[in-house]
Amino acid sequence: MAEQATRRAPTGPTQETPTDKQRDYEELRRLIVGPEKEGIAAIEDRLENVERRTEDVSTVVAEAIQLRREKGDDHALAEALAPTIQATLRESVRRDPHVLADALFPVMGPAIRKSITETLRSMLESFNEALEHSLSLQGMQWRIEAMRTGKSFAEIAIMHSLLFRVEQVFLIHKETGLVLNHLVAPSVATQDPDMIAGMLTAIQQFVRDSFSSKSTESLGSLNVGELEVWLEESPDAVLAAVIRGHAPQDYRLAMNEALENIQRHYGPALSQFKGDAGPFRSAEEKLAPLLETHYKQGNGESKKTPKAAIVVGALLGALVLGWIVYSTYLILQWRKFLHALDHQPGIVLVSHSNSGGKFQIQGFRDPYSADPSKLLSDANLDPKDADLQLAPYYSLDDAIVGRRSAEILHPPAGVKLASKNGQLVAEGAAPPQWIAEFEAHAPWIAGVTSIDDSRLDNSDLAVLKPLKTTIESVVVLFPVGSAQIETGQDDKLAQIGKDFQDLLTQAARLHESVTVEVTGHTDSTGIEGTNLPLSQDRADAVRSHFLRHGIKPANMRTVGVGTSQPLHSEDTEEGRQYNRSVTFRIAFTPLPVTASPGARSSALSGN
Amino acid sequence: MLGSFSVGKSSLVRRFVESIFDEKYHTTIGVKVDKKVVQASGEEVTLVLWDIHGEDIYQKMRMNYLRGMSGYLLVIDGTRRQTLIDALSLNERVVKEIGPVPAVLVLNKSDLIDQWEIDDAQQAKLAKDGWKIVKTSARSGEAVEDVFLQLAKAILAT
Repeated sequence: MAEQATRRAPTGPTQETPTDKQRDYEELRRLIVGPEKEGIAAIEDRLENVERRTEDVSTVVAEAIQLRREKGDDHALAEALAPTIQATLRESVRRDPHVLADALFPVMGPAIRKSITETLRSMLESFNEALEHSLSLQGMQWRIEAMRTGKSFAEIAIMHSLLFRVEQVFLIHKETGLVLNHLVAPSVATQDPDMIAGMLTAIQQFVRDSFSSKSTESLGSLNVGELEVWLEESPDAVLAAVIRGHAPQDYRLAMNEALENIQRHYGPALSQFKGDAGPFRSAEEKLAPLLETHYKQGNGESKKTPKAAIVVGALLGALVLGWIVYSTYLILQWRKFLHALDHQPGIVLVSHSNSGGKFQIQGFRDPYSADPSKLLSDANLDPKDADLQLAPYYSLDDAIVGRRSAEILHPPAGVKLASKNGQLVAEGAAPPQWIAEFEAHAPWIAGVTSIDDSRLDNSDLAVLKPLKTTIESVVVLFPVGSAQIETGQDDKLAQIGKDFQDLLTQAARLHESVTVEVTGHTDSTGIEGTNLPLSQDRADAVRSHFLRHGIKPANMRTVGVGTSQPLHSEDTEEGRQYNRSVTFRIAFTPLPVTASPGARSSALSGN
Repeated sequence: MLGSFSVGKSSLVRRFVESIFDEKYHTTIGVKVDKKVVQASGEEVTLVLWDIHGEDIYQKMRMNYLRGMSGYLLVIDGTRRQTLIDALSLNERVVKEIGPVPAVLVLNKSDLIDQWEIDDAQQAKLAKDGWKIVKTSARSGEAVEDVFLQLAKAILAT
């Protein structure tokens, strides 16, 4: 500016008037600051003109907000905008709630569902706890089922209390009330779905008009006896499920999901619907689960049975089976035992019963019968489980009478006692004292009606047996056709005489008399009719020999048997020689002073 | 189906339309839904009929029942002129609420034609106003099928 002033100086500043100066100054100003001034005026105009200002801001407002957000200071921005947005929303809802409701529908559904699921889950948990301690039979059954299916106990409980069946599903166009799709469960009688859907829509409308102040609220369900109709609405469609029984809240979620799905998928078709339900036929696949899921739930879930549940189930099954087998075994053992007991001699069963796992048995038992405790152990039964009430009595059973007699009479080792129909038979060898005792006491034993000791021998006679055997083994030989004792047998005869004397002496001590039977034999040769006398002669010859040697004739009898009792076969000469002989038989007879053994009967007192 | 009380809407329905609901529905919830299948333009058309309770001094018609309507029958009792006046006033409200949809004007009770209070001039005027007019008798069955057929055709034409 100073330079310009200097340049102008030669034009003569002295001739210039103040107005000129003023003009010059203005001119100068114009030249110097003119362009800036225009710019300022334009800026002023922009600042003062609302229209232009709005235009300017509108070009940068989005970028400005974005920039602000990127700077990370969005809290202030949110704070500034919040009241406006709130007011905007409020105004939008006031004008037409449908706009916002429809816009929010896809978001709100899942959010609400999630919240409901959460609430329901916590409710289930507390319900679970409440039931945890219930030990009713039904509770136990449910618990087992829960274990088997791998579901929580509460779920099972709810499932049982909420049995239901979805009979029909309607997909209805909301605006027109026309049926878009209709599914019916098998064997369910239905009315015309078009009319039903129309009426349902009318009823919804009626309820909304009559009882609700807000047009967004709608009828959720209808109840008639055990039938329920559940209704769900989306912006363009209504889903109605006809349910028999009580469906769980889960089912409403399933309806909601299906409906949202349909609304999403068929949105444009729904809003342009003019009465042709064709495009909605494919919605069947989305609706079908609403009919079927709840039939198959049980089966489907059971496939998820965890291994642990199978093992536990198998163990339980095995335990139950084991218990059944064991119980059956016990019962069979008891039956066997009772049968055995009843057939046991000396035991009579009157009655038996089983109460509280303990067997009670009433009856009679002879003291000499088998021990019932031992019978119990033999049958693998615990004697503690049995209450035996057996009164004592005298059994007349042969086995028991035999046992009783043995207990009383103490027979020596060689004697066998047996009772048969009341007759007590003694068999074997016993000392004469015992035999006497047997005869005296046995008839008085209970159950003995008679005694038989005919086969009872005096055991003392046993000492005489060796001599008897020796003598009876001797054969005195004779020549052919002769009754003269063959020479060379003197020693043999002398020994016999000596043995015989010994036998007589010993027998006399035992009060027994001895009888010697001398038997003569012949071979089969020779003339018929002579053999018998010859055999007698041979026996007599031997007897004479002994008589000569001082053996008493009263103790000796002779007999000739001829060829009737050969000692040997006659195929050889040696055999025939043996048959030309004499042999001896010894028999003992008690002397008359001792009691004579033999069958005796005695009357008994009948106890 | 719209029209004043006792113009014969229900009689038309009773004889010529499939119905599963009781007529009590009219007086309780104000509407009864029925169905009529007709052959129109070579197609089978199912008409779901909302037989809406006739207006009287006790019960106003629920305009909400009209939502989603594809077309309607405006039923008039030919023997009562007032029913025509009421019907036309009702029609105005319907058009205002729903917008123009196909409609057929049903002049019922044609069996009592000698007692009619609506003469040919009036009918001509109505036709001139754009009304499709069908004269019916629910009693004799005259032209009843035609009423539904006309409506179905009109709806299909839109």
